[in-house]
Amino acid sequence: MKRIISFFGIALLVTCALAQDTQLAERGKQEEQHSCVQCHSLRLVDSQRLSKAGWEKEVNKMIGWGAPVSDRQLLVDYLSQQYSADKPQPPVEFTQTTAKQKSATPSSK
Amino acid sequence: MHRRKNAARAVDGFSNRRELLAGIVAATAVATGQDLITTPGKRPLILHNDRPEDLETPPSYFTTWLTPNDVFFVRQHLPRPTVAEATYRLAIDGKVSKQIELTTADLRKLPQQTVAATLECTGNGRGLYRPRVAGVQWMRGAIGNAEWTGPRLSDVLKLVGADLNAAYVTVNGADTGVAKTPDFIRSFPMRKALHPATLLALQMNREPIPDMHGFPVRLVVPGWDGTSWVKWVTNLSVANDPNTGFFMNPGYRFPKHAVPPGGAANPADLEIIEGMPVKSSIASVADQDHIPLAPTLLRGIAWAGEQRITRVEISTDAGRSWHNAELSPQDLPFAWRLWTFKWTPLQEGYYTIMSRATDSAGNIQPIVATWNPSGYLYNAIDRVGVNVEKTA
Repeated sequence: MKRIISFFGIALLVTCALAQDTQLAERGKQEEQHSCVQCHSLRLVDSQRLSKAGWEKEVNKMIGWGAPVSDRQLLVDYLSQQYSADKPQPPVEFTQTTAKQKSATPSSK
Repeated sequence: MHRRKNAARAVDGFSNRRELLAGIVAATAVATGQDLITTPGKRPLILHNDRPEDLETPPSYFTTWLTPNDVFFVRQHLPRPTVAEATYRLAIDGKVSKQIELTTADLRKLPQQTVAATLECTGNGRGLYRPRVAGVQWMRGAIGNAEWTGPRLSDVLKLVGADLNAAYVTVNGADTGVAKTPDFIRSFPMRKALHPATLLALQMNREPIPDMHGFPVRLVVPGWDGTSWVKWVTNLSVANDPNTGFFMNPGYRFPKHAVPPGGAANPADLEIIEGMPVKSSIASVADQDHIPLAPTLLRGIAWAGEQRITRVEISTDAGRSWHNAELSPQDLPFAWRLWTFKWTPLQEGYYTIMSRATDSAGNIQPIVATWNPSGYLYNAIDRVGVNVEKTA
């Protein structure tokens, strides 16, 4: 019985942690969208691979330059989780390919 | 709301249908947060930033001495302005006897010079530094070589009676910052401003300078890194002190003494970057390429700021042995040389190819580039790994 309880306990903790991660990803994505796109594309942000200290520094610099960040900590947590230094570099993309792919998306719907 | 207002203003400023369309696409991108890249006049380039454009040239294009305008890399700090030549004015102030505004016609009346010069982004190769640093993750392609034509900056300064003993010339372009982003303004010493190769260019490779590259007037500072080559130049100011804005300090500075990778530099140790160190890149094969077991012509580029390239050596065995590459005939300061090396791999397998350049001052590319917090001036010996395979 004890074993079953502890099993469910761990499962619950794991589920909570995963849910938190998903929530961080969703809320973080919205915060990033809201904070960064006034001046540049998100591609510039998402191609970075930085430590938490590195992200902290970048976010502070951008706030100083007028980025309308509403939740600084959320943004730093999200970016450090999604684009940490150990994540592989995104694949190389070319300008025209991207335009074609993107313009193809709406017509195929 | 604020965003939409900006977008509407941007659309008002466009003069022809293609630009209007590009403007609508850009405005939609801002409104939705999605990006749709439009690069009129460019062949496919490596995309780092849709807005403003940061586009890298695939190194496979580096097989001609002049890089065509439609594949030349683009680095924008701020949104690209659209400047109409009819209303364009270059204002010059500070220590000058005639405070006047010049049109492009005025600039064309001065003697026109053509200078071949390599333009390299100060952050070219940033993506190769470890640990990684923030900024556009350029690899090998934030560089190009072009012929630039226009009046000498020194002739323009003399025309307005500038005090040639003043220490600095400060240059501003038509681009301006969004929100509180600082304006892109650069100062450089009078000694370089008066150099006969320093131009206010009206042409790039014998064509009017494309919008993305600074139409109608761009500063050309041969041998110096791209940061000095201000685009859409609208203001020159002659003074004894340099500008102190972000893009002069702390931006675009390099530590005088090496710092441990990942560490911080002492702000007092940071010096303004003036020039480019000796460097070569491998262009005909990319890292982890598969190539057939057959004679191969390896190709690449080598450049050295204000110096000339005197030697490029190639290794196909991870640096155990080095052999001289053939250099293209252009033995000039400011402009790169192409190199070629005939290589016949004897058997299948994995090979590490390296290139190492030497300049006319005897500087040799280092094995390790000097890590710095902003990832500038990467110039380590270039290296790519290739898989040589028997073809069926």
